[in-house]
Amino acid sequence: MSKKYGVYICTGCGIGDALDIEGLTGVAGSYSMPAKTHAAMCSEAGRQMIKDDMANDGVNTALICACSPRVWKEEFAFGDDKLTVRANLREGVVWSAEQPSEGRTAETIAEYTNELAQDYIRMACVQAQKMELPEPYKLETINRRILVMGGGIAGLTAAKEAAKAGCEVMLVEKADQLGGKALGWRKQMPTKAPWTDLEENSIQALVSAVTSDPKITVKTATEVARIAGAPGDFSVTLKAAGTKSEWDAPAKVGVDEQDKIAKGQMEDPNAGLKNYMEADPAAEKVGAVVLATGWNPADVSEFEHLGFGKLANVVTNAQFEKLAKEGKVPANVAFIMSPGGEQHDKDFPYCNSVTSMVALKQAQYVRQDNADGKAYILYQHMRTPGNMEMFYKGAQNNDGIFLTKATVTGVAEEGGSLVVQAKDTLLQENLELKVDMVVLAAGMVPTTSGAPTINLSYRQGPSFLDLELFDGYADSNFICFPYETRRTGVYACGGVRKATDMVETIDDACGAALKAIQCIESADRGVAVHPRSGDGSYPEFFFQRCTQCKRCTEECPFGALDDDAKGTPKPNPTRCRRCGTCMGACPERIISFKNYSIDMIGSMVKSVEVPDDDEDKLRIIAFVCENDAYPALDMAAMRKLGLNNLVRVIPVRCLGSVNMVWIKDALSSGMDGALLLGCKFGDDYQCHFVKGSELADKRMGNIGETLSSLGLEPERCGVRQVAISEWDKVPAIINEFVEEIKGMGPNPFKGF
Amino acid sequence: MAEGMRVQPDLEFIKYLKSAGGDTLKKCYQCATCSVVCPLSADKKPFPRKEMIWAQWGLKDKLVGNPDVMLCHQCGDCTAYCPRGAKPGDVLGAIRAYAYTHYGFPQGLAKLCSQGKNLPVMMAIPALLILAVWYLAGGMSLPTPETIDFGMFFDAHKDHPTLVGVLTLNVVLIDAIFVPAFTFAVFSAYKGVSAMWRDMAAKLPAAGNFRPSVKQFVVDFLVPAVKEILAHNRFRQCGANRNRVNGHLPLLLAFIGLFIVTGYSLVRKDVIGSFVEGLHGPLSMADPFKLLANISGIALVVGIGILWMNRSRMEEENNTTPTFYDWFLIGEIMAVGVTGMGAEITRLLGIPVLAYLFYFLHLVSIFMLFLYMPYTKFAHMVYRTFAMAFEKYRESSFVKAE
Repeated sequence: MSKKYGVYICTGCGIGDALDIEGLTGVAGSYSMPAKTHAAMCSEAGRQMIKDDMANDGVNTALICACSPRVWKEEFAFGDDKLTVRANLREGVVWSAEQPSEGRTAETIAEYTNELAQDYIRMACVQAQKMELPEPYKLETINRRILVMGGGIAGLTAAKEAAKAGCEVMLVEKADQLGGKALGWRKQMPTKAPWTDLEENSIQALVSAVTSDPKITVKTATEVARIAGAPGDFSVTLKAAGTKSEWDAPAKVGVDEQDKIAKGQMEDPNAGLKNYMEADPAAEKVGAVVLATGWNPADVSEFEHLGFGKLANVVTNAQFEKLAKEGKVPANVAFIMSPGGEQHDKDFPYCNSVTSMVALKQAQYVRQDNADGKAYILYQHMRTPGNMEMFYKGAQNNDGIFLTKATVTGVAEEGGSLVVQAKDTLLQENLELKVDMVVLAAGMVPTTSGAPTINLSYRQGPSFLDLELFDGYADSNFICFPYETRRTGVYACGGVRKATDMVETIDDACGAALKAIQCIESADRGVAVHPRSGDGSYPEFFFQRCTQCKRCTEECPFGALDDDAKGTPKPNPTRCRRCGTCMGACPERIISFKNYSIDMIGSMVKSVEVPDDDEDKLRIIAFVCENDAYPALDMAAMRKLGLNNLVRVIPVRCLGSVNMVWIKDALSSGMDGALLLGCKFGDDYQCHFVKGSELADKRMGNIGETLSSLGLEPERCGVRQVAISEWDKVPAIINEFVEEIKGMGPNPFKGF
Repeated sequence: MAEGMRVQPDLEFIKYLKSAGGDTLKKCYQCATCSVVCPLSADKKPFPRKEMIWAQWGLKDKLVGNPDVMLCHQCGDCTAYCPRGAKPGDVLGAIRAYAYTHYGFPQGLAKLCSQGKNLPVMMAIPALLILAVWYLAGGMSLPTPETIDFGMFFDAHKDHPTLVGVLTLNVVLIDAIFVPAFTFAVFSAYKGVSAMWRDMAAKLPAAGNFRPSVKQFVVDFLVPAVKEILAHNRFRQCGANRNRVNGHLPLLLAFIGLFIVTGYSLVRKDVIGSFVEGLHGPLSMADPFKLLANISGIALVVGIGILWMNRSRMEEENNTTPTFYDWFLIGEIMAVGVTGMGAEITRLLGIPVLAYLFYFLHLVSIFMLFLYMPYTKFAHMVYRTFAMAFEKYRESSFVKAE
C-alpha cells in the first residue's frame, strides 16, 4: 500500500496549553508529513476534517496525536483500508506532567515535557512508516461442525445447544450409552423455583432430545484417538473405546529426548504410533471442540481417621447414591463434609460447593426411606450458592435432618454401629453420634488429571499445559474467561472444568458451545479469538533465515506452532492468539506481524532523540504491556500523578513479544536504560497470554549477562510487575528505576 | 479424645414444638442475632441461640427444666430481629408449653390441657359438675328481680338461706367445689415446680454442699423474685413489645385485688357470717371492698383486652404464630372478667335469667382457671416465679461458693 500521511494534533484537553504545538508540527514536517491541528480532534468536526483529507487528498494513514490509544478507538478507525497511528500526548505527556517543585521550575519542566511530546511524534511517524495493513489469514475451507467429547449432562447440553444454534455436532461418548454420571442418580437437585424439592432425574429427556436431533451424530463406545489441525480445520481420529490405535496421540518428545532416541539411549515412547504431523485420511473434520469429559469420584482412603476402607459402613457419596438408587438406605446416617480433623478446616479435595448440596440431597433419601430417619450433616463449610440457598433452607426445615459445623475427629465401630466423634460444634459440646452409616463427601476429580484426555496431536504434546499448577484442571484464565483453555478452539465445560452441579453444568455447557461457535466464526473471518478478539493480523515467518532453533515452537503459550522433521516451524494461524511471544523469542528476528514488527518497534526506539551533551537528560525506553500496565499508566495520568519525563513508553502486545534486539537497539542508540512493565507472573500469574511476562523476565536475565560482558551494568535493563489496579504505585516504580539509572550515570556508549 | 455428648434427637419433641407455635424452629441458622438483642443472654451463654439448635436437634432434656427458657418473657425482640424468620420467641413459648405438660400432675389432665381439640372436654368438666350440684341441691329456679342474690344460687328457696350447721348451703357447696379444685391445683403446681427445680439444680455445674433453709429460700430468693415481678422490670427491658406492661401490670394487680376481695368475702360471709346475722347477701356498692372488686374487675377486662389486641396485632404482622396455648389463657381470663362483670350488672339491672346465666358461666370459668392453672399458660405464674428464684439461687453463694 502506498501511504499518504496526515498528522492530526489535537490541542484540546490541555494539550494546546501545555505544549509547543508549532514544535510538534515541525517534528512531523521533518518526516515530510503535513500536520493539522484541531481544538477537539475527537469531535464530529475534528473527525470530519480527517475524513475530508482522506476523501480529497487521498490520506490513508492518519497519525492521531491526541489522547491515549485506549480511548476513542472506534471514532478514530476510518475503515479497513486506512491505518491509524496514535501518539499519546494527553495521558502520556500532559496529564502526567511533572509538577513544579524546588529546584525544578516550570520552564525546565516545560522543556522536558516538550522533548517528550516531540519524541512521541517521532515514534508515531516512524510507526506509521513501518506499519502495514493487516490481511486476515483465511483457511481454504472451513469446517463448521463441532466435536463434543463426553455424553454426560455437559456434553449433551453443549451438543443440544450448538445444534439449536444451527451447527452440525458430533458427540463422542466412551460408554455404551449416553447420560454419564447422571444415569446413576436416584433424584436430582432442584433446577427451578421454588428450589426446595428434589426432582425426578431428567437425564433421559436430555438423552432423547440429543438422539432425536438430526444435526447431532452420536458415537457411543467411541474414543478420540487424536485431534490434529487447528480451529476451523481439526482432524479427529476416532477409535473403539478401550482399544489402542496407531493414531493414538503421540507423547511429547522434547529436543533433548529426540537426541537420546536418535543415539539409542532412550526408547521412543511413540514407537508404533503415527508421527504427530502425519495426516489421517480417514479423520473426521471439525471446526472446534467442546471438552465435556467430566470427572471421576475422588479417592478418600488417605483420610484414615474416618475409617474409609477399614470400617464396613463408611462409604463415599458416590457409593451412597448407588445404594440409594438400588434400594433403601439406613435410618441413621452421618455425612462428613470436611476431613481435616483438627489439622485444617478444608473440605475434601475437588469438592467446590457440589458436595454440600449432594449431602443435602442424600440426607433426604434417609428421611424418605425411614419414618424415623435421622441424617446428620457435619460440615466446616456449607456452600449453597445462588438459588440453592433455598434448597439448603428446605433441607434444614426437615425434622430429621440435623446440621452443625463440626470438626470430625474420628469414626469408630461400636457394637455393629458406627460412632462419629465431633468437636467444636454449634451445640457447644463435643458430640458422639451413633449411626448406621457414614458418608464421606468425596470430590470430583477432573478427567484431565492423570490422562491427556484431549489427545492433541501437537508439537507441545497431547495434553493441556501446567496441569499440575491447577490440580489437574486445564489452565483457563478461570475467573475472566472460564471456558478458555490454552488450546485455541478447545473449550472445557462441566466437571472437567470445575466441580459443578447440574444447573451450573448446563449454563457452562451453553457457554462453551457458544465459545466454540464464536471460534469457528473468528477462524472463518481470519481474526483472533480471546483475548485479542477480532485482531486481523497474524505472525508471518521469513523461513529462509530460520535456523530451526525451535524457540518459537517451544515457547508459544498456546502450542500454535508445529514443526517438521528438521524443526522448521509450521504455523497454524487459527490456533494463534496474536500475542507475539514467537516474535519476541526469535533470535533471527524472522517473525513479524504486518502492523507489529521487529523493525517497526526497533525503528521507533531508534527515533527517540538522545541528547549526548546533557547529563541530566537521560533517556530510558519502557516497553509496557498494553493489557494491564499501560491502562495503569493511563489511570495514573487521569489522576494527575506525575510520570517521569525521561522515560519513553512503547505499548507492546505482551512482554512476551519484546525481542531483545530492541533492548540492544536502545542501548546502542545511546539510551541509558530499558524497562519492561508487565503482568505478574508465577503460579498466580496475571498475564493475558499466560507465559509472556515470565518469558520476558528470563530473556532479560540472559541479556544481562551480555551487557556485563560489554562492561554495562545489567541493572540498566529491568522487568517490573504491575497489576492493572496498581496505578497508584506505577509512578514510584518507574521513578525508582530511573533513580537507579541516574546512580549509574549515563550510558558510556552515548554518542558513539 | 474427650468424651462427647451422646446425641439422640427426639423427633416427637420436634414435631410437638412445630405444632405448638415453634413451626419455624428449623429455620434458625445460628447467626446469634437473637443473642445480641436478648436481655437475658450472657457471655458464653448465647441465649436463645443455643436453645434454638438444641430444639432443632430435638434435645428435649436440655430444654425442659432449663431456667433460661422459663425466664424468657417472650418480649419478642429475638423474633423481631431474626433475619431468617425463625421466631425464637415462639419456639421458647412452645418449649414452655411442653414443659408445663411434661411436669404436669396428673399426666392425663396435663395432656388434656395441651391441645385445643380438648377444649370442649375442658369446659364440660366444670359445667357438668356445677350443673349436677345445682340440680342435686334443688336450687334450679330463678329468683324475682328484686331478690337476686348469688348467695342463694344453689339454694332451693331464694328468699332465705338454708343452713347447714352454721354455714349456709350455698357457702358449703361453693367451698365443696372450689376449695378442692384450688387445693388440687396448688398441689399439682407444687409437684411440677419441685420437679423442675430438681432438673434445674441437676444441671448446675457443681451442686453446692449447702442447701438453703426454707426461710432462706423465701427471704433470699422467692421474695426478691416476686418483688421483681411486681415491678415488671423485665418487661420494661423489652424493645419490640414494650406496651405489654400496660396490659400485664393491670391484669396482675387485678388478680391481686380480686384475691383480696375473695379472701375478705370468705372471712366475712363464711366465718364471721356464721355467727353474725345480716352479713350474707351482696356487698353494698359503697363498701370499700366492693369498690376494690369493681376496680379490679374493670382492670382485669382492660388488661386482658390490651394483651388480646397486642397478640392479634403481632399475629397480623406475622411476628408470631397463633397457638391454643396462648389463646386459651387470654380467652379464659376474658371469660372470667366478662361473666363476672355481666353477672354483677344484670343483677343490679334485675334480670334474673341473665344474671344466673352469667353467674353460672362465671363459676365455670373460675373453676377452669383454678383447675387447669398448672398445665396451661397460667402456669407461668408459678414456674416463672420459681425460675426467677432459681436464677437468684444459682448466682448466690450456695452455688457459687468459690
